[in-house]
Amino acid sequence: MSDDGEIVVVGAGMAGLVAALRLAEAGRRARILAKGFGATHLSGATIDVLGYTPAPVMSPAGALPAFVAEHPDHPYARVGAGVVEEAVGWLKGHLTDPRYVGDLGRNFLLPTAAGVCKPAAVAPQTMAAGDLRGGGPYAIVGLPGLKDFYPSLVAGNLALATTPAGTAVGARAVEVDLSPGGRVDAGPLGYARRFEDPRFRADFAAALQGRLAADEVLGVPAVLGLAGAEQAWEELEARVERPIFEIPTLPPSVPGLRMFTVLMAAARRAGARVVIGAEVVGVETDGYRVRGVWSGTANGRRFYPTAALVLATGGWAAGGLVMDSHRVVREPVLGLPVTGADDGAARFLPGYLDHHPLATAGIAVDRWLRPVDARGAVLYDNVRVAGATLAGAEPWKEKSGDGISVATGYHAAMSVLTEEG
Amino acid sequence: MEDPVRASLDHCVKCTICETACPVAQVTPLFPGPKYEGPQAERFRQPGASADHSVDYCSGCGICSQVCPHGVKIAEINSRARAAYKAEVGAPLRDRVLARPGVTGPMGSPVAPVVNRVMANGPARWVLERAVGLHHSAPVPPYAPRSFQRWARSHRRGAGVHPDGRSVVYFHGCSTNWFEPDLGRMVVAVLERNGVQVRVPDQGCCGLPLQSNGLFEPARRTLRHLAHDLAAGGGDEPVVASSSSCGLMLKREGREILGLADEDLRAMGERTYDICEFLLDLHDQGALDTDFRRLPLRVLYHAPCQQRGHAMGTPALDLLRLVPGMEVVESAGGCCGIAGTYGLKKEKYGIAMAVGEPLFEQVRTGNPDVVACDGETCRWQITAASDHSSVHPVALLFWAYGLEL
Amino acid sequence: MQTIETEVLVIGGGATGVGVARDAALRGFATVLVERKDLAEGTTGRYHGLLHSGGRYAVKDPQAARECAAENGVLRRIAADCIEDTGGLFVTTPWDDVEFGDRFLAGCAATGVGVEEIEVGAALVREPALNPDIRRAFLVADASMDAWKLAWACARSAVEHGARVLTYHRVTEVLRNGDAVAGVVTVDVRTGVTLTVRAQVTVNATGAWAGQLAALAGCRPVDVVPGKGIMIAMNHRIVNTVLNRCTMPSDGDIIVPIRTVSVVGTTDSPVTDPDQLEVTQAEVDHMLDEGEKLVPGFRKARALRVWAGARPLFGAKEPGDEKTRDITRAHTLLDHRQRDGLDGFVTITGGKATTFRLMAEETMDLVARMASPGTDRPCRTATLPLPDSEPGAYYAVGSRLAQRERHLLDDQLVCECELVSRRDLTEALDRRPTANIDDIRRALRLGMGPCQGGFCTYRATGILHHQERLDQATANRALLDFLQERWKGLAPILYGDQLRQARLDDWLYQGLLDVEHLPAAAGAP
Repeated sequence: MSDDGEIVVVGAGMAGLVAALRLAEAGRRARILAKGFGATHLSGATIDVLGYTPAPVMSPAGALPAFVAEHPDHPYARVGAGVVEEAVGWLKGHLTDPRYVGDLGRNFLLPTAAGVCKPAAVAPQTMAAGDLRGGGPYAIVGLPGLKDFYPSLVAGNLALATTPAGTAVGARAVEVDLSPGGRVDAGPLGYARRFEDPRFRADFAAALQGRLAADEVLGVPAVLGLAGAEQAWEELEARVERPIFEIPTLPPSVPGLRMFTVLMAAARRAGARVVIGAEVVGVETDGYRVRGVWSGTANGRRFYPTAALVLATGGWAAGGLVMDSHRVVREPVLGLPVTGADDGAARFLPGYLDHHPLATAGIAVDRWLRPVDARGAVLYDNVRVAGATLAGAEPWKEKSGDGISVATGYHAAMSVLTEEG
Repeated sequence: MEDPVRASLDHCVKCTICETACPVAQVTPLFPGPKYEGPQAERFRQPGASADHSVDYCSGCGICSQVCPHGVKIAEINSRARAAYKAEVGAPLRDRVLARPGVTGPMGSPVAPVVNRVMANGPARWVLERAVGLHHSAPVPPYAPRSFQRWARSHRRGAGVHPDGRSVVYFHGCSTNWFEPDLGRMVVAVLERNGVQVRVPDQGCCGLPLQSNGLFEPARRTLRHLAHDLAAGGGDEPVVASSSSCGLMLKREGREILGLADEDLRAMGERTYDICEFLLDLHDQGALDTDFRRLPLRVLYHAPCQQRGHAMGTPALDLLRLVPGMEVVESAGGCCGIAGTYGLKKEKYGIAMAVGEPLFEQVRTGNPDVVACDGETCRWQITAASDHSSVHPVALLFWAYGLEL
Repeated sequence: MQTIETEVLVIGGGATGVGVARDAALRGFATVLVERKDLAEGTTGRYHGLLHSGGRYAVKDPQAARECAAENGVLRRIAADCIEDTGGLFVTTPWDDVEFGDRFLAGCAATGVGVEEIEVGAALVREPALNPDIRRAFLVADASMDAWKLAWACARSAVEHGARVLTYHRVTEVLRNGDAVAGVVTVDVRTGVTLTVRAQVTVNATGAWAGQLAALAGCRPVDVVPGKGIMIAMNHRIVNTVLNRCTMPSDGDIIVPIRTVSVVGTTDSPVTDPDQLEVTQAEVDHMLDEGEKLVPGFRKARALRVWAGARPLFGAKEPGDEKTRDITRAHTLLDHRQRDGLDGFVTITGGKATTFRLMAEETMDLVARMASPGTDRPCRTATLPLPDSEPGAYYAVGSRLAQRERHLLDDQLVCECELVSRRDLTEALDRRPTANIDDIRRALRLGMGPCQGGFCTYRATGILHHQERLDQATANRALLDFLQERWKGLAPILYGDQLRQARLDDWLYQGLLDVEHLPAAAGAP
C-alpha cells in the first residue's frame, strides 16, 4: 500500500472509531465517512470481551484459546487472542474520562438495568464497584424522571443472585425524589447534564442522608454527567462515603456517549477527518483494489480517493448488512458476499432466545480481515472489514460485542499499517 | 407514489441517536425531541390536519437527519409538520416579516441610518419585543449603507481573470447583499485571484426563512424565482454560495422540504457549490493559488449545522490550514442556537442562548483571535453572545492573500 | 366450589359474545359472560379491522352485503368512537377484469350498498400511493373499526347494565340436566379456582371454537371450520382510505388503514385447530405481492407484524373438502332444542365483525323467547350508543398525538411508538390489575408500534413490578413472555427495517440487559 494516501473508514461506531484513531495516531491520513452515528450511543460502554461460551466465562484470557479453537470462523479466531488483549489494552489507554479498569484476566460481573450480573472484562471506573464478587449489599437508586431504569426490578433480581463464592446478596431499592427542573421525562441525558453541576450532586447526596446502611454499596443509573463524569463520581463517593457504581440504562447511553466523545475527540486531534451524514453510495475499483468511494452529499455525490478502505458499517442492526423483502441479503457498500444467510434453512427459530441461524451471518475474512469469497479467495487486497459486519459471532449472546469491535477495528488498522496486501 | 420523506419514517428503529444530538431538546422540555416529532408523531398525522404544536419548537437545524444512521428524514418531516401547524393556526406578523429579508432589505437599506439607530436603541427594542415579539437582545445586524448588488453592478473584472477561463455565478444571498456587502466583495476578490470570472446576476431571497417559518407556498415561489434569476445569462457554470444555509436550500432543501420537483431547480442544485467547497476542489485540481502570506492568528472554526448538512466535510478547515502561521482549532460541534430566525423570537431567544452556551463557553475559554464560521446568523449570534469577532472563512483567505477592499 | 346463578350465560368474549351479553343485559336479563382468555383475544382481535360497507360481498354474497350495509349504518351511530371514517375505494387494477365493475355497481344497487364511481384521477389525488395504472375506482362507505375498543365498550355497557364478565375463565364442563344444558363449570386459568355458572339459557358464542364447545355439551357435531386468514400490519398509514380490489373476493385484496398502521389481508385456508395458526413464508410473500398490485413499492415499506385469525365458517363438511372462501359469510343461529333436542342451549357462529350486533340481536330474540316466553323485551342495541360514543364523533388517528401534546410536561411516555403514557399505564392497572403485559397491550396498544416492545417491554415490566408488587419471578416471566409473544409475530416478516429493529432489540435485551440470564429464564419457551 502507498504510504501517503488517505484511508477511508466507513462507519463511526466502535470499530470505525478505533480503526480511524489507530491509523491517525500512526500518522496516516484517515477519513471517517459515516451515514450517521453508531452503536456507541446505545452501548453500555463496558468492554465485554467474552462472557458466555455459553458456559459463563470467568477469565476471557483463559477461555479465548479454547474458544477460538472451537469457533474457527469467529472474528476472534481471525485476529488471534493476543491481538484481542493488545487492542483492549491500547483502548484502555485512550479512555480517559472516565478511566477504564480491569483486563482480560478476569471478568467483572456488573449489574444491568434488569438486575442481571453481566460479565465484562474492562469497565469504566464508575461501574466497577458493582462487581457481584463484592457481594453488596446493594442499595439501588431510582430517579422519578427516568423511565429507563427501575431500581426495584434491579434490586429484586440482585437479591436472587449469589456471588461466585456462593454467598447470598443483599439488595434493595431507594427512591430519590430529584429531577432536573421538575422534568417528568428528563431521561438519561437530562439527568446527566444536571449531574455535571456540583449543586445537583450535593442535593442528591443530601437526599440520601441517613437512608443508607453502613455497608451498603450504592448503585445509580449511569447518568453521572456526560463531561467530567469521573470527577462527579469521585466527588459523590466522597459525599456519600461509600462506593458508588453506575448501571447502564436503556438508550440513550450516557456512558456510551462519553466513550464516543473521548474517542472522536482523540481521532480528530490525531488528524482524522470526519464526515457524518455521508452515506457511501458507490465505490471505484481497479481489479482487486478499491480506488476510492463515492459518498452522498446534499446535492449529489463526492469522490474520495483512498489507499485502503476499512469497512465498519455494523451488522443487521446498523444497516451494514441488509435483507430485502425477497429475503435477498446484501452488504451495501461493496456488495461483498454474505455468508451464513442461506435461503434454504430456517433463518429464525420459534423461541425468542434461541440461537437463530441468521445471527452469525456476515462477511467472511482472512486473518488480515480482508474479505474473502466462499473458497477463501481474497476479494479486495486493500479492504479490511471490522466490527459487527463480520461473520461468525453472536455478540449479544457471547457478550463479546465491544470486544470484537475493538479487536477487529484495531487489527484492521494494524493490518493496513503493516501488511502489504 | 408515496412521498419519500414521509416514507423514510419506516427506517426508524427508535435508537435515540437523534435525541443525543438534538440541541434544542436538551435545553427545554417544550420540545420533546426529534424522534418524537419526526418518525413517531408522523404515524399519527394525516394530510390536511395538524394535531401537534410542540413541533414549532424545532429550530430546523437539521442535525437529527445528519446523525441518523438509518436514513430517516427527521428534520424534513418536522419542517413539514411545522408548516401544517402554521397553516392551521396562522403565522404571526413577526414571522412573516422575518421570513422576507428580500422584501425588508430594499426597504431598510435606503434608510439604513434611521433603522440602525432604532435597532441599536434599547427602549425601542423593548417596544419592538412587546409589539411584534422580536426579542430585545436578539442579534440583529445593521443595514449596510450600500448593497452588495449596487457594488457588483459597477464592478469591473479583476486583473488576471480571462474571459474565456473558468467562470461561476455568485449566489450571495440576502445577508451579504443588505448586511455584509464586504463579504461579497471578498468572495469576488478571492475567486478572481484564482482566475475565476464571477458573474453576479440580480437575485432575490432563497426562501429559507419562509420555509423555516412554515410558510411553504411563498417559500416555493421565492426559491423558483431565485433559480430563475441565477439562471439568467443561460450558462451552466457552477453556482457558488457564500451562505452555507442558503446554498443548502438550492442544493437540497427546496427538493426535500418544500417538495419541489422542478427539473431546472434540480439541475441548478447539482451545480451549486459552497464557496469553500469550490475553492478546495480548485486546490485538489492544483488550481488554487496557495501563495498566502503569513497570518499568525488563532482561529476557532465552527461548522454551522447547515454547513454540516452539505455532507461535504469541512473544506473551510482544510483551506485555513493552508495559511502559514494560522492556528486553526475546530469547535467541538454543537449549535449556536440561532437557527436563522429562531433565536430572534421572544419566546425562543432563551432557548437559543441555552443551546449555544457550550459553544460560547468554548469561544470564551479558548479566546481565539477570531471565530471563523460559514453561516451569517451564526456569526452574529456567536459574536453577540461571546463578545468575540467572527468572520466568514473566506475573509481570512482574503487577508492571507494580502488583498484589500 | 363457588356457584353463581344467572338467566343468560354467554360463552365467548369475542365481538359476538360481548354483543350478546350487552343485548341480554339491556333487555334486563341477568347475564354472565365467560371467556377462556381475554376479551377479543381470538378472532375479533385478529382481523384486519374493516367495517364493511357491504361492497366486498355485493356480487358474491348478496345476503351478507345487505346485512353489512345495514349494520355499517347502525355501528356508525352507536360505536362512532371505535370507527374511523376512512371511506373505501374499490379499484380495478391491471390484473382485474374491467367489466367486473359493472357487476359490482349492479350488485351494490341490488343490496343497498352505497357506491359512487369516481374518476381515476380523483382516486389518485385522494390516495397518492395507489397504483396509477388502475382503470376504475368506486367510492363506498368502508371504514376501519377498532375491534378491541368495540369489545371492551360492549362489555362495559353490559356490566353497567348488571352483567358479569369473567375473563380467563375456561369452560371445563358443560352441565346437563337431562335433555337441557344447565350451565358450565369453569376454571380461572390464572388462579386455578373453579366456578360453576348455572343458567336458564347458555349461548355458545365461541366462533371458530363453537364445534369444540358443542362437543363438550354432547350434542350433534356442529360443523364449524376454522378458516385461517393471515394479515400483515405495515408500519404506517401508507393509505388513508380502505383499498379493495374490484374483483371477486380473493387473497390479499384489501388494505385497511387502521390506527397507525395499514393492514393487508387476507388469506383463507381451512385448518383443524383454531389455536394452531402457523404463518408460512409463502403466505407472507403472497400478501406482499398482492399489496404491491394496489400500492406499488409495497414490498419496500416496512412490515411491522404478521398474525393469523380463525374465521368461523359454518357449513363445510370437513377441512380440505372445499375452499372455505366459498362458504357464506352470513351467520348461523342454531337452536339445539330443535336441532338436537337439547334445551337451553343455542349456538351463534359464522358471520363477521361488522354484523356482530345483528347476530347478537337475533340470538337474543331466540333466547328471550326461551328464557321468558310471552314477555316482550325488545332489542335496544341498534339505537343506544356505546359508552364514550357519540353519533358522528368518529375516532381520528391524530387524537392520541393531540392528547399527548397536552401532557408533555406532566406525564412520561412509556410506549413511544403508540404514545402510551405512564399515567395511561397505571390507570389501566388500577382498573384491571394484571401481571401480563399482553393484557396491557390489548388495552392500550402498548408494544404494538415499530419497535414491537423494544423499549417499552422493559419499562412496562418495571412499572408493573413496582405498582402490582409482583414477586420477582412473576415480573421476570412477564418480561420474557412478552418478548416471546412479540417474537411470534415478527419472525415470519423479518426483513428490511423490521429485521434491523429486531436485531437492535436483541442488543437491548440480550447485549445490554442480559435477560437470558434472568433468574426466571431457565426453562423459558
